[in-house]
Amino acid sequence: MNMSRFVKTCRCMLLLIILCMTTGCWDRREMDDLALIMGSGIDLTDSGLIEVSYQIALPTGIPSAVKSGGSQKQVVVISAKGNDLQEALGRIQQQMSRYVYFGHREVFLIGENYARQGLNQVQDLFTRFPETRYNSYVLTAYGATAKEILSTPYPMELIPALAISKIQSSRQSFSVKFDEFLEAFASPGTSPVTAAIRIIHKGTDKESVAIDRAAVYLGNKLSGFTQPAELELLRWWIGDPYRLSFTIQAEPEDKDYKGTISVKSSESSVHVHTRIVDDHPEAKVIFHTVVKVVSNNTRLNLDNEKNRKNIEQQFSRQLQGRFEELLTHVQKGMKSDIFGMGEEIHIEHPYSWKKIRGSWAEIFPAMPVQVEVEFQIEQLGKTHGRAYLEK
Amino acid sequence: MRANKRATDPFAKKASALEPEIDIEISERMKDNKKCIAQVFANCCDLVVRELLIFGSMPAVVVYFDVLIDKQLWDDGFLEPLMQEATPPIRSLSQLQEQLKYGFSSIVQPSVVMNMTEIARRIVSGETILFVEGSAQAFAFSLKDKLNRALDEPSTEAVIRGPRYGFIEKMSINLALIRHRLRTPRLKTEKLTAGSLSRTDITIVYIEGIADQSVVEEVKRRITGIDMDSILESGYIEELISDHPYSPFPVMQATQRPDMTTGSLIEGKIAVITDGSPMVLILPVTFWFGFQSAEDYYMKFMFATMLRWLRYLFAFFAMALPSIFIAVTTFHQEMIPTSLTLSLAAAREVVPFPAIVEALIMETTFEALREAGIRLPRPVGQTISIVGALVIGQAAVQAGIISATIIIVVSITGISSFLIPNPGMSQAISIIRFPLMLLAATFGLYGLGIGLLVILVHLVNLRSFGVPYMSPVAPITVNGLADTLWRAPWQALKKRHKHTRH
Repeated sequence: MNMSRFVKTCRCMLLLIILCMTTGCWDRREMDDLALIMGSGIDLTDSGLIEVSYQIALPTGIPSAVKSGGSQKQVVVISAKGNDLQEALGRIQQQMSRYVYFGHREVFLIGENYARQGLNQVQDLFTRFPETRYNSYVLTAYGATAKEILSTPYPMELIPALAISKIQSSRQSFSVKFDEFLEAFASPGTSPVTAAIRIIHKGTDKESVAIDRAAVYLGNKLSGFTQPAELELLRWWIGDPYRLSFTIQAEPEDKDYKGTISVKSSESSVHVHTRIVDDHPEAKVIFHTVVKVVSNNTRLNLDNEKNRKNIEQQFSRQLQGRFEELLTHVQKGMKSDIFGMGEEIHIEHPYSWKKIRGSWAEIFPAMPVQVEVEFQIEQLGKTHGRAYLEK
Repeated sequence: MRANKRATDPFAKKASALEPEIDIEISERMKDNKKCIAQVFANCCDLVVRELLIFGSMPAVVVYFDVLIDKQLWDDGFLEPLMQEATPPIRSLSQLQEQLKYGFSSIVQPSVVMNMTEIARRIVSGETILFVEGSAQAFAFSLKDKLNRALDEPSTEAVIRGPRYGFIEKMSINLALIRHRLRTPRLKTEKLTAGSLSRTDITIVYIEGIADQSVVEEVKRRITGIDMDSILESGYIEELISDHPYSPFPVMQATQRPDMTTGSLIEGKIAVITDGSPMVLILPVTFWFGFQSAEDYYMKFMFATMLRWLRYLFAFFAMALPSIFIAVTTFHQEMIPTSLTLSLAAAREVVPFPAIVEALIMETTFEALREAGIRLPRPVGQTISIVGALVIGQAAVQAGIISATIIIVVSITGISSFLIPNPGMSQAISIIRFPLMLLAATFGLYGLGIGLLVILVHLVNLRSFGVPYMSPVAPITVNGLADTLWRAPWQALKKRHKHTRH
């Protein structure tokens, strides 16, 4: 490279750099200028105002090896009210010395009242907002406002929002991420569903949170919550069917034995088959699972093939019943197609779907759905019989 | 362009005036010769002009630099045979010539000189000149003092396994070190001279039939073209004959290790030895050569491969780690895991400077410490590391001026830059770090990406004496990768000469 070419290159580079600088699009932000939002929530107050709450991490409160961990606060919850979402967001920024940064928001909470009123504003704001993390978890507050949940301390973690996110990311929890939630919104053949979070031990010093329900939406409005017992089934059907656990009363309880058998699944799957009979959709859902026995509190010896078959049948029957209950609750009670049956029909019968798609909300609650459970015990645990079983 | 520069060089005239052409034939009269020598070497207190009678009766004059000759050799090899009576007595000039030519041991290398210019040149290079009354020829004897030091281990290229001695400042010794390892007449050594005042001897070493003859010619052409007063170190040559003097990357390798030089010669490279410098230049080299050490070939190939990858990885760290850190923490905070973000944010909480300023302060301090470590006398050198580590590191963090994470980043970067075996490559990578940091601080990862791309474009454009700098990766030769991306076992590697021959 000779000198003149070098100078020329430098000039071009300078021009390019100036060009980039003059756009004013500079988003350099130092870490200590950011308010790291760990969780945010949205509520509807009794007076009809919208309240936005942020749980913000305070990095100075995080104990490190150098600093002796004082009793400083690790998080602060800030909230503001407004007539609409934009106004509330504007007011909250007025209280903030730092730039509100959503890059690390792990959970997004929807207050129960707000959810019942409709989510269109949230949906729009968050789909437009470039910093939104689509892999953050969406939860609906059950029996509480989002602000109350965000203000609840969690004993095991420094930052409560991280605790919620950790609970959700464990595969044994029912979780819905933002992208899945929005996709369900957009798709006519599926209704949105989120996990539901509630405060436990309220009013005591052991206050904490638990996620044991699912919030079922119809359109953009919350239509109800499932029961804690239904969550495991929901996980099997639409969530991650990882290590599902079930217990049945195999024998009546007596003074020595409780008579229960508990199992954990090692692999589970769902197959949905849809049919169109006289322009009316019907569905058959086959649940298949392979389990291992984790505890056997009965006199039955499961080494015996007959016993085992018997237990398998008992389980299938019981699970079938529970699934039917869930279906009745969600399909008939809340009229919401969180299972994505419409999507299934769309895939399997695209031409018929076109005809019924417009009236799917009315058709779904009346659709006959047949449930079948295939249950198979594969492993009996480390000891086949009970170690203390009398010879 | 160079000729142009020369014309305007204010020192050019002065330099040529320092050494007037003495275009005088040698006179038959000793007196004239003495006068001429006295004129040329006026004010040289170390010049000895001694009259003596040789072979019993012939008047003669010996001229030499006292400081440049070996006293022992002077007495035993030169003066003693000269002082003996010749049998039969010398009567004619041709007899004298005969006697001088054959009557001495070969170590003094007698030769005949005809011209005063040649005589002056020989005297300054340490030879002894004998004028004999009545002869229009002078006789030169090489009684040079063997001014050299012991061979010891090169401190900059230490190895765990491998030969311990390195090149020294004496060219003849360096050549001997290579000859000892390559016992073939195909090992060629061609001598050139450069520098109008220093008259430095430069030897080009290569193996005929393996090295590319056109590269040899090109090197010779470039060295002959050097127009300088002095060549005091091989670094002068490196810069003067380089294809890309404006590139930070070294297109020649300087080494002090004979084994490394020999290995390179076998690969078809050329070595340029400069008298007075222990650093031998090896060329042409590729980018990957900067990450190879002689020891790679002495240890197990698996371990050598691991070490090479470690060097590549840490070379990347040395170049880009501070900039990645700056880009990610000031532009892309969402890329950092949440818990790490909190720790980083906590560390930054009290720091008054932006990350780029912090990083620049610490990087500059580190470079200063490194330079100070070289300059300081050895016993004091220890204190510098303590001052550097404790005072600047710990105190700055505790005072809340610099965040602890920056100290970690700068330390890793510092260590990384010492992992690169070739000091030239290490310097290149250290200097690139700074523009990359500025780019990262203005444009984030986008800027860093652009910076790295510019470097890549620059690298693939470089050539070292016709060999693409990034070869064998770009342009790719699959067989050549055996000695770049990994160090293949010798069984596979022994076939490689075919591919490295250009």
